[in-house]
Amino acid sequence: MQLERRSNEFWADFDDPDFRGTGEPPRITRQVVMLTGSHQQQQYWYSTGRERLVSKLPAIYLIAEKAWIPRQAAFLHAPIGSSGSDTGAWNAVCIACHTTSGRPEIDSPFGSRPVLKQVFESQVAEFGIACESCHGPGDAHAQANRNPVRRYRLHLTGGNDPTIVQPMKLTPAASSQVCGQCHSVWEFYDIAGERQANTAGLPYRPGDELRDTRFVAQPTVNINSPTMKDILSGDPAFVTDSFWSDGMIRVSGREYNGLVDSPCFKLATDARRTMTCLSCHTMHEARNDPQPVGDWAAAHQLGAGMKGNEACLQCHPALRKNLELHTKHRGPSGNLCYNCHMPYTTYGLLRSLRSHQISSPSVGSSVSTGRPNACNLCHLDKTLAWTAGKLGQWYKSPIPALSQEEQTISAAVLWSLRGDAGQRALIAWSMGWKPAQEASGISWMAPLLGQLLDDPYEAVRLITYRSLHGLPGFGEFKYNVMAQDQRMAVAEASAIWERTVDPKTRRTEPELLLDSHGNVNLDLLKQLKRERNDRPMSLRE
Amino acid sequence: MPDKVAPHGVDYPIRHLRFGWYSFLAFATLGLVLETLHGFKIRAYLDLTNETRRLMWTLAHAHGTLLSLLNVLFALTLRLFPEVRVRHLKAVSNCLILATLLLPGGFLIAGFVTYGGDPGIGILVVPIGAVLLLIAICMLARGERDPGIPGSRNR
Repeated sequence: MQLERRSNEFWADFDDPDFRGTGEPPRITRQVVMLTGSHQQQQYWYSTGRERLVSKLPAIYLIAEKAWIPRQAAFLHAPIGSSGSDTGAWNAVCIACHTTSGRPEIDSPFGSRPVLKQVFESQVAEFGIACESCHGPGDAHAQANRNPVRRYRLHLTGGNDPTIVQPMKLTPAASSQVCGQCHSVWEFYDIAGERQANTAGLPYRPGDELRDTRFVAQPTVNINSPTMKDILSGDPAFVTDSFWSDGMIRVSGREYNGLVDSPCFKLATDARRTMTCLSCHTMHEARNDPQPVGDWAAAHQLGAGMKGNEACLQCHPALRKNLELHTKHRGPSGNLCYNCHMPYTTYGLLRSLRSHQISSPSVGSSVSTGRPNACNLCHLDKTLAWTAGKLGQWYKSPIPALSQEEQTISAAVLWSLRGDAGQRALIAWSMGWKPAQEASGISWMAPLLGQLLDDPYEAVRLITYRSLHGLPGFGEFKYNVMAQDQRMAVAEASAIWERTVDPKTRRTEPELLLDSHGNVNLDLLKQLKRERNDRPMSLRE
Repeated sequence: MPDKVAPHGVDYPIRHLRFGWYSFLAFATLGLVLETLHGFKIRAYLDLTNETRRLMWTLAHAHGTLLSLLNVLFALTLRLFPEVRVRHLKAVSNCLILATLLLPGGFLIAGFVTYGGDPGIGILVVPIGAVLLLIAICMLARGERDPGIPGSRNR
């Protein structure tokens, strides 16, 4: 792909992703007209020249690395060898949440016919999330508040303005649904609903009941519903590509799914003590928040003081007095509520993210679902048996039956070698996570991460490289994530580790596949790697 | 020297000259304070959410300095144009001084507590100051040539 700036216009020259003939695809030159993404990566959309149909450039830009990568490498999708076509995806899908009052206006359901034979006349009120996305239609509000007397009466009395929706003043369920309209896994109930939204926009307005007009997938509740069965008949991976097997959400951007299955939400009886999105987050930086607005935005738009335990202690004040009695940990990481009850078990945008389903660490859940538990995401060098023992001793948690490997080999080692692509990505990311590095040590990580450099999933390789790059000796390590043959990279990582880590200081635990001399047990490592779960998966992040 | 001293002894040119320069000092100092807030990137002044405060205080500075100079100009007018007879000189003087205090002062106070895009309740004194200013200007504009002042016919 070649980029070119023409005055104030940006153009790109690349292989036509929609070419369906034989042989080499022709080169096309298109004007870039839009970008999505601001924190992690930028995705660029170009005008196809056909009505309002847009498509995505084959490469995306990583903000942290200041580097372009092929689009397929940015998502945890089953390897297909090319970026494929995303033509029409913005018009049909992204428009719902990346614009305000978007209307796809496609002449037939997206995907029902070849995209280039469809007509796209998409319209939006505003690009991006604007006021009316969360506050509902604002015309009456704007009209009424032209009157300064009315405005100041409301300012001075603190009264509610009935002309506009204030998510903070809605019931916890309704307030959360304002965010859930985008941050959830949902589908239309039927094709009639899709067609209606296609021409008139999504019917949900803040304050409405979200489920009146769309099906919110919640496997713990509606896995056997007729709508879910209907969806699964046409899209068998609809649930498995977004949820862990127990129904917990595993992809980013769908936090509402986690919230509604959290005890802090579903078991709460007092509206004032019911967790909502706004319990921790704020959409406008609080006036008493001392941090610059850019830092606030980068830190997930948390409310003032909500970076730490205050988010939880506002409803659990009894723990404030002696937190260590509850956590059994010393030091900041082990005493941070988030780290145990919102571990990094969701995936998206080349990183792990905190689960928004509040839970307690459970080895049983790890065994039954494959989802890493909070303890082993920090104590990467420990086995599931170790964790089960600690949880049983401290909290009387039941100790599940564990396999021989689960008792003798570190859980992180097993997940990174035998796990599915999603598990491998989570563990590779955790090995670059500072609290985990502090709890587990880093001297043993490189040989394991090195094994992930030839992972079939580009996204896993890229995350692995990021974590590896932070280890001693790997600062200058060069790696081409898109290379077909990664054997050299694996060997080089191993050689760097051999050179960098003094044999006298090496760890010697068999749980880490290290022998008594600190050497890697290659036979066992290769055996575990052969057992890798190669189930094709495309996480719908 | 024309008599712009009221029977009870108020010397209006001196009064406005002194008031004008002192208020100029005050509002120029406010400008320096605002520049300092810029210089040290003080969030309470510069953050996006404090845009209304920034506008109010900028307006206070601008109106304050200009009205201060207007007082000086008024004093010079009285002194340099003795043949101009200003009716209700005391009222004009009081209106001008009150306008110089209320108009920028209202902006200043309105910036301390703001309500989103709306300034604080202190903004209510701004229109009062503005009306007093207009009254003063109007009365000044209607000033007449005083036939009793020597030399006025030559002008």
